[in-house]
Amino acid sequence: MTAPAPPTTPADTSTPANTSTAPTDASTASPAATPTRRPLPVPDEQSAPFWAAVARHELMIARCARCGAFTHPPDIICPHCGSTDPGFTFQPVGGRGTVRSWTVVRQSFLPGFDVPFVLVDVELAEQSELRLIGRLLDGPDAPLRVGTPVTVAFEDVAPEVAIPAFELAGEA
Amino acid sequence: MSENDAARDDQARGDRARGDRARGDRARGDRARGDRARGDRARGDRARGDRARGDQQHSGGSASGATSDRQRRSWARSGQQRRGRPSNEVAVVGYAHSLVRRHAPEPLGVLAVDTARRAIADAGLEVADVDGFVSASMFPTAGAHAVEDGTSIVSSQWMAAHLGADARYTAGFDGVGALTGSLALGVNAVASGTADYVLLHRALHNPVGSYHANPMKAAVGWQQWTVPQGFFGPLQMIALPYNEYLARYGASREAMAAVLVEARKNGARIPWSYWHGKPLTAEEYLAAQTLVDPICRYDCDIPVDGVATFVLTSAERAADLPNKPVYIAGYASGLPPRRRLAQHWPLDDIMDAGFGLASRLWERSGVGPAEIDLPQVYDGFSPFVYFWLEVLGLCPVGEAHRFVQAGGIDADRPDGLPALSGGGALGNGRMHGVPQMLECYLQLSGRAGERQRDKATIGVACHSSPHYGGAVVYSAVPF
Repeated sequence: MTAPAPPTTPADTSTPANTSTAPTDASTASPAATPTRRPLPVPDEQSAPFWAAVARHELMIARCARCGAFTHPPDIICPHCGSTDPGFTFQPVGGRGTVRSWTVVRQSFLPGFDVPFVLVDVELAEQSELRLIGRLLDGPDAPLRVGTPVTVAFEDVAPEVAIPAFELAGEA
Repeated sequence: MSENDAARDDQARGDRARGDRARGDRARGDRARGDRARGDRARGDRARGDRARGDQQHSGGSASGATSDRQRRSWARSGQQRRGRPSNEVAVVGYAHSLVRRHAPEPLGVLAVDTARRAIADAGLEVADVDGFVSASMFPTAGAHAVEDGTSIVSSQWMAAHLGADARYTAGFDGVGALTGSLALGVNAVASGTADYVLLHRALHNPVGSYHANPMKAAVGWQQWTVPQGFFGPLQMIALPYNEYLARYGASREAMAAVLVEARKNGARIPWSYWHGKPLTAEEYLAAQTLVDPICRYDCDIPVDGVATFVLTSAERAADLPNKPVYIAGYASGLPPRRRLAQHWPLDDIMDAGFGLASRLWERSGVGPAEIDLPQVYDGFSPFVYFWLEVLGLCPVGEAHRFVQAGGIDADRPDGLPALSGGGALGNGRMHGVPQMLECYLQLSGRAGERQRDKATIGVACHSSPHYGGAVVYSAVPF
């Protein structure tokens, strides 16, 4: 009905698929052969509170001081009320949401990600269409459908650096 | 051009200016009468009606016969009410297309200038006649490749300078729906008198090394919200809405095999295509491993070096040129409904904006889906075929997968909708909307050679996603 049954082995990235032209290119070599670090976020003036919270394993989302709507990621103008002075502040959210779509990534174009891994497109419970995309840490065989409940999780990827992700919320 | 020609041009411009004023008066009257809300409702009703007509036509399998004069008069009448400038005032009058190769031996700029010279000659013109240059220079890679004018992209100014043209107007479109956007710049330049003969080009480059792989170690700015999470690149971008489509409508990869087989069948017949002589079977498609579920390598157009060029001019001047003109009846572009994470394209965003695009397209061009006999849907990623078929009203929403699986887009069937008859991107290579536009031009001008279809009067060429891209209606006759 949905995605095809996942193969048990990762895609053969040495195949000259249309997206990788040179089989010998170092960037297409197996990640296991050249362990590298995932790209890390570079906090800026606006995003620093977000990344500081995530490092403490807390999810906070930018909220407009004028209309109260959440926006992710924060912008220079509030996309909800149009304020050019939105005064965004990061507010804690519950981290619960539902899966709107997902994919199993078998060929990563970024360094440092072991394949396969699952990405989920999650709508947070706090606000309609408040959507985050992150890895689902339950593995590529996790049962997923549109509406599957998930909750935020955190991956510690470097000292003082964590990345928000998700895991199945279970029956609770 | 001779002095006589120039004089005739001046006369034509004068006539047109008078006509324009008359049209302007009418438009002002419409606005004065216009109740915005009422207009919107009417458009909505019309869009629904158009879709219903589309359903009727294609589910019945009785593709209409040759366009009747009555039909054409009907378009003209509705056009007077709906259409505005510059519908049918500007025409495509010539073209040239390079070979599509994985890596061309010559630099992209050389390929572009050679192809431009051939297009200008094909239109019966000389470089000195061409005074407008439009293009889009987007280099659609997620990799860390250098952007260098003349090597990995070719801008309008670079083209004009290296052709040695006496340009009066150069412009580049910077949005996603590159071909629609740049064509619109050219159409408006001609219609406004800013330029007389406009060269439109699109030059695509395939850099050495992996196309999308990016060795980035630090995610700065907008990328900090997606890259550290592992969400990156166009395959993931399209995989999410495609998976939504599969889940919502119970579609399967087996249905998509029909899209790939059709695109590659038609591409295999095109001499300059990368896939010339290389069709694909459903078995080969289904045997390919997925890269980013449910996307496999065959769902993605292959990166190539290639250049396409077209010449545009006014309908009046086109009458003096050797090729049968193909008129631009209307165009529309999409507008995403919501701000999202970078490259986050939920299915509802695509479709909601797509319906708006289609409604504007029919309004601007004065035709509806039932009149389109050459719909060239965009297919840079295969799921776009479903999205475009549905937003254009060529099949009901949620039904495109069944429609294609039942042979609905088989261009060789008398009752098939030739939606990929030009091979598309999947059957030619990553030429970014060029195969769709070129098929409209070749078929409507009667220049498709062995591939010429018996009936091709109104075409639509789509580019990119319905929510960021655009579509253009072409006509074999002005109406």
